[in-house]
Amino acid sequence: MLGAVILVLREVLEAALIISLLLALTHQLNKKSSWLVPAFIGGFSGSGLLAHYAYPLADAYDGTGQEWMNTGLFMVVIVSAVIISVLLVLRTFSIFSMERERAESFILQTSKQMPSLLFGFLCALAVSCAIAREGSEIWIYLASFINQPELVYPALLGGAIGAGIGLSLGALAYYFFLFMPIKIFLPTFVVTTLLIVGGLAMQIAKELMQIGVLNGGQPMWDSSWLINERSLWGELLYALLGYEAKPTGVQGFFYALAIAPVIGACAWGIVRKKKRPGSHEKTRHE
Amino acid sequence: MKSMRHKWLWLFTVSFYPSLVFGEIPTFTIEIRDHLFYPSLVIIPANTKVKLIIVNKDASAEEFESYELNREKIIMGGAKANIFIGPLAPGDYPFFGEFFPKTAQGLVRVEP
Repeated sequence: MLGAVILVLREVLEAALIISLLLALTHQLNKKSSWLVPAFIGGFSGSGLLAHYAYPLADAYDGTGQEWMNTGLFMVVIVSAVIISVLLVLRTFSIFSMERERAESFILQTSKQMPSLLFGFLCALAVSCAIAREGSEIWIYLASFINQPELVYPALLGGAIGAGIGLSLGALAYYFFLFMPIKIFLPTFVVTTLLIVGGLAMQIAKELMQIGVLNGGQPMWDSSWLINERSLWGELLYALLGYEAKPTGVQGFFYALAIAPVIGACAWGIVRKKKRPGSHEKTRHE
Repeated sequence: MKSMRHKWLWLFTVSFYPSLVFGEIPTFTIEIRDHLFYPSLVIIPANTKVKLIIVNKDASAEEFESYELNREKIIMGGAKANIFIGPLAPGDYPFFGEFFPKTAQGLVRVEP
């Protein structure tokens, strides 16, 4: 039963963090959270389809279908999250030189100009792909017990407990993000997104190494002494941010590639601010 | 125009799958029966890319997982899967079946 708790918890946590983060952003920007409905419908039906067609999928492309599908789903989450973050950074970077009240009103004004449809679409896309991937693994896991009646009940109970803990932690994370002042929330959002997309990009590299498309090579370092992947923290960090104690150079490259656009946007924000010093001071006194 | 496209496709394939198109990759087969790995010890050469073929003879799915090898793949019941590992430094690299971790345990030993 404990095995089921941990397995389901791990899968639920991965998706829950992404949902909490995007939902908190939606509310912080005073946008509508109606994207959640299609995201959940798409995610759950997608996870069911992936689990149902697991056999032909695994056999596709000479036995590499599972990896290509995971790569595709990770890519969609990465691209959606990166677009949202880049837009956010470019439009809101200036609030860091503002006082709290002005920053809040500036955000409300800016978020009104942000295209709601695109924002909702990207959130729904990221969340549905995250749910589809993690969910399909849970369905396949639970289905593997169907032939063993004595194990079905503990697996289902364990799965329910794991899902419960995962969803509770997700809710906790959501309220934690929600009650942050906007000037703290936005950098937190961007940094957390960077860590998530970096972790997902490393997983893409892993999938491609697994099917032999990319060569593995020696790990860049071994941080097992600091956080072992088998430890509770290691498992938690793996589930949330794709932590790996021994990443290879290829994975490092994929990580850098995924976070580069957002880092670039931040750098551009800093450069632009330096070029026009005091531009916000002026508007404040107007 | 068509031949041009084929040329690019060929170039792409060759540059992306060098080890698949050329060089022989050592292959090792592991079976899963009653949630156990057979053999549970696989000895492979160091600094060499190796292909593991995992054949799941059970009716239930299993997930081949290894922290040390940094691999994770679901193998459906009655199906088989290929997993490439390495090149690796000499040492022991344990793996396990995540769905039935109590019994499904194995070890990849890399020898110089």
